[in-house]
Amino acid sequence: MGWTSGRSSGETACGRRFRPASGSSSRNGIRGLIAVATAAMALLPALVPAAAAAQMAATAGQVQASGEGQVPAQATDPELHLLRRTTFGVRPADLAELKSLGIEVWLDRQLNPSRIDDGQLDDRLDRFPAAMKSISELVADYSPPRQPRDSASRETMTPTQRRMRAESSPARILADMTGAKLTRAAWSERQLEEVMTDFWFNHFNVYFGKGLDRYLVGDYERTAIRPHVFGRFEDMLLATAKHPAMLFYLDNWTSFAPVSMSGARDLNANRQRRERGMNENYARELLELHTLGVDGGYTQDDVVAVARAFTGWTFVPPANRQNARPMGRRPGAGEPGTFSFRLELHDTETKIVLGQELPAGRGMEDGTDVIRMVASHPSTARHIATKLIERFVSDSPDPAFVDELAAVFTKSDGDLREVTRALFVSPRFYDASNVGTKVKTPFELVASALRVTYADISLSPRLVTTLRELGQLPYDETSPTGYPSASEEWVNSGAMLNRMNFALELTSGRFAGVRPDGQRLARDPDADPDMAVSDLIDLLMPGLRTDALVSTIRTDLTAQADAAASPVRSLGARAVGLALGSPAFQRR
Amino acid sequence: MEPISRRVFFRQGSFALVALGLPPSFLTRSLLAQTRAAVRKKTLICIFQRGAVDGLNMVVPFGEKAYYERRRTIAVRQPGQDAGAIDLDGFFGLHPSLGPLHDLWRRRELAIVHAVGSPHPTRSHFEAQDYMETAAPGSSSVRDGWLNRALTQTGCDCDGRTLEDARAHAADHTAGQTAMALPPALRGIAMGSSMPVSLRGAHPALAAGDISRFGVAGGRDASLESTFERMHGGGGDMISAASGEAFDAIRVLRAANPAQYRAAAGVNYPAGEFGRSLSQIVQLIKSDIGVEIAFTDIGGWDTHQAQGAGQGQLARRFDELARGIRALHDDLGDRMEDVVVLTMSEFGRTVAENGSGGTDHGHANCMLVMGGQANGGRILGDWPGLEREQLYEGRDLALTTDFRDVFGEIVSSHLGVDDTAPVFPGYEVDAARHRGVLRG
Repeated sequence: MGWTSGRSSGETACGRRFRPASGSSSRNGIRGLIAVATAAMALLPALVPAAAAAQMAATAGQVQASGEGQVPAQATDPELHLLRRTTFGVRPADLAELKSLGIEVWLDRQLNPSRIDDGQLDDRLDRFPAAMKSISELVADYSPPRQPRDSASRETMTPTQRRMRAESSPARILADMTGAKLTRAAWSERQLEEVMTDFWFNHFNVYFGKGLDRYLVGDYERTAIRPHVFGRFEDMLLATAKHPAMLFYLDNWTSFAPVSMSGARDLNANRQRRERGMNENYARELLELHTLGVDGGYTQDDVVAVARAFTGWTFVPPANRQNARPMGRRPGAGEPGTFSFRLELHDTETKIVLGQELPAGRGMEDGTDVIRMVASHPSTARHIATKLIERFVSDSPDPAFVDELAAVFTKSDGDLREVTRALFVSPRFYDASNVGTKVKTPFELVASALRVTYADISLSPRLVTTLRELGQLPYDETSPTGYPSASEEWVNSGAMLNRMNFALELTSGRFAGVRPDGQRLARDPDADPDMAVSDLIDLLMPGLRTDALVSTIRTDLTAQADAAASPVRSLGARAVGLALGSPAFQRR
Repeated sequence: MEPISRRVFFRQGSFALVALGLPPSFLTRSLLAQTRAAVRKKTLICIFQRGAVDGLNMVVPFGEKAYYERRRTIAVRQPGQDAGAIDLDGFFGLHPSLGPLHDLWRRRELAIVHAVGSPHPTRSHFEAQDYMETAAPGSSSVRDGWLNRALTQTGCDCDGRTLEDARAHAADHTAGQTAMALPPALRGIAMGSSMPVSLRGAHPALAAGDISRFGVAGGRDASLESTFERMHGGGGDMISAASGEAFDAIRVLRAANPAQYRAAAGVNYPAGEFGRSLSQIVQLIKSDIGVEIAFTDIGGWDTHQAQGAGQGQLARRFDELARGIRALHDDLGDRMEDVVVLTMSEFGRTVAENGSGGTDHGHANCMLVMGGQANGGRILGDWPGLEREQLYEGRDLALTTDFRDVFGEIVSSHLGVDDTAPVFPGYEVDAARHRGVLRG
């Protein structure tokens, strides 16, 4: 049996009243439902004029014409493969643009993001003020409340007080930063810059939750990572080494030579004092994770020597923070929250790093020499090439491709624009064995779901908890290793269920702060039901439609309509949720 | 081995109903009750302290002069002093925040292995964790976990079949062709959103952040579940396999309803993820759904800075750890007879404190082994001493027990694996090196 007209009545995006088709077969039953339902899923008043909606549908139609067919085109479509790896989600219009520009022109544009107008982002990013603020502003605006957080005081607060406390809590910084990152991922035209910013932040991971870092991580991404993703590797390495977020995270800010080192004759005593004053955390991760790699040919002695080279690299604590007290603020020490080198805390003795001598009696150049040395080391070229290929090409990097990319890294003196270009123009990248083989990480899944549903994103604590449950909340990885990119790290039974549930929740209309745009996904109400489902899949994952997926979703909707089990207006949302939870959407 | 008739009954009875998606809770419960003896199994609970715990402040060698000389501000004081160590044997003591475990020591349910760890010299967290979880230090070719390999060595009655292709084999079970009553994935459960390396491998296993929410759309709409199952089924790839395990597990968990097992009277788990994970592990064990290995982890041990002594940052981590384990112990009650709890961490930390009131990455460490069968009330292994010449590379606690000898003893004596060689590839397994962490 079909649905009752009472259930199905409602206005479509274009203002037409939906009329149930005559007859009661289930085939007819879901005819048009998807159109109504997808339009309704956003639970929004119609904001887009009918003409604009119609035009969008027309554009989508043109794009589909090129990707028609029963077999997913992915195996033979280099453009689709490229987009699945270089963007946070493929919209039909993205594919159309790439096909019309050609791979090289498109890539060149993306590699020069300042040439791409992205002004449309500003309004969306304004919703996340904490993501834009300077270190000092954050410390001033989001310091933890003075009074103890005992439950009694919370209970006696008025709702307004409670809201104000939440507004000024450091947790708000993370919610804003997550919202801003997802907004850029979903809406920026500079997709490759976003993807590479994510990659390099993760490569030089710092953890939001470690004390002072909550105030520093945003500035770190903005000033130490993003400006360098198509610049020189060495510049990014130095920028991370000097940034308070890294200095604090890996403890170098309290790594000092003993106070009265010079003049002592007893070398052994000197060595003991040095061990006490020094912290080798940053030195070790610099060699192991940031540059040479764990098999890059360094020893424990190198770690100690590098740690000595970086003694005295610290920062001026931001004002008004009890956390920062151990260092104290000294007059004339510099701008709060900025790098500072303190010669009096630097180990000025001779050091041997990777077989090269750093002479005695020097200052900050010990550290900058180490940076230069390791940035241009052949092991670093191989390590970076391997990580790029793991993230963007294959879980099992082809050694020949690693060699190829490492050679570009070395030859270009670590020019990341050239390295990135080489990665995505190499025929090895397009090898059929790499297509569709990577499983999206949880962040990539969420970002792509928001991007392909044109979701409107505002402050959403629910997004934070969702990403945390899925296991990949940005800025929240505690280990300096960063989040893994290998598929097997993210695929397990519990994770698959979480992904399906996310897809359903996102499209339920109840995901606080995030609203997919049902109007953009609305299908022609008079379309054949199979066509309607097909069109929807082509919108959500162009080039990946299979008959099996269409028929599974179609069968589900039919059963729902027959049983009158779901309100009609939710059926389109259900179809979108099922598609986003499908195996095909989990891959890239 | 359980009587075969029960096994057959179990398969043809409750699991058949479960597989049909019926809600057989009353029936299942009575079946579970009848067959409890049959399904009740030995269980190993592993707790990974990620980030390298400072074992020298966890189980304190307060009898060592060098300990106090090299840890001016972070040494735990002698027993009897304010925030001092809890004396165990006149030389070693528990950190004061591990007080909740002292009872277990006195009841001889807690054994401690000291100066244990990986012989590999790495001081990289991720590398050392991988090595411990694959139980193959130094090998990059071994990718699966020791717990997963232990699962493939036990628990299948299928006459003479090898488990070389355990996944295909498990599919046979699921299809009801052979005699395994419960989905094999439930034999190994990790609490958390990602599958730890320890449980990764050919044998199915389950990772769940929160079992109370393990399902599709909160179980409100069975048709969504079946549509997703159809969509994800039969792909033969990584995603299909994982999803298939999930749908099998959902059915069993729904029927067994672990949430009905509320914590025993007077038992309070610490707030937070670790406490919740432990309480859910207990629920799963009490549900008798065939859990043999449970894994959870607890972080916050990488104390490079201001770690504190008897009190402070590290003390708070110990407090959560100890209260969690104690709650699990008390909640399981007499079931602890069949349970072993094992703690591990990738390496220890430097003997000397660093310039920031913390410790850097070191070498050997300590492990706790708890349970009714633990050879409790003892510190096992050889103590190498803390004088400079006794240290590894002049700075770290030296190693006298390979962690694989502790793992190996548990795999063999507790989980009943006859041949442990496949569980520890590249290691010459020798029971003579076992430290006697279990009675037996």
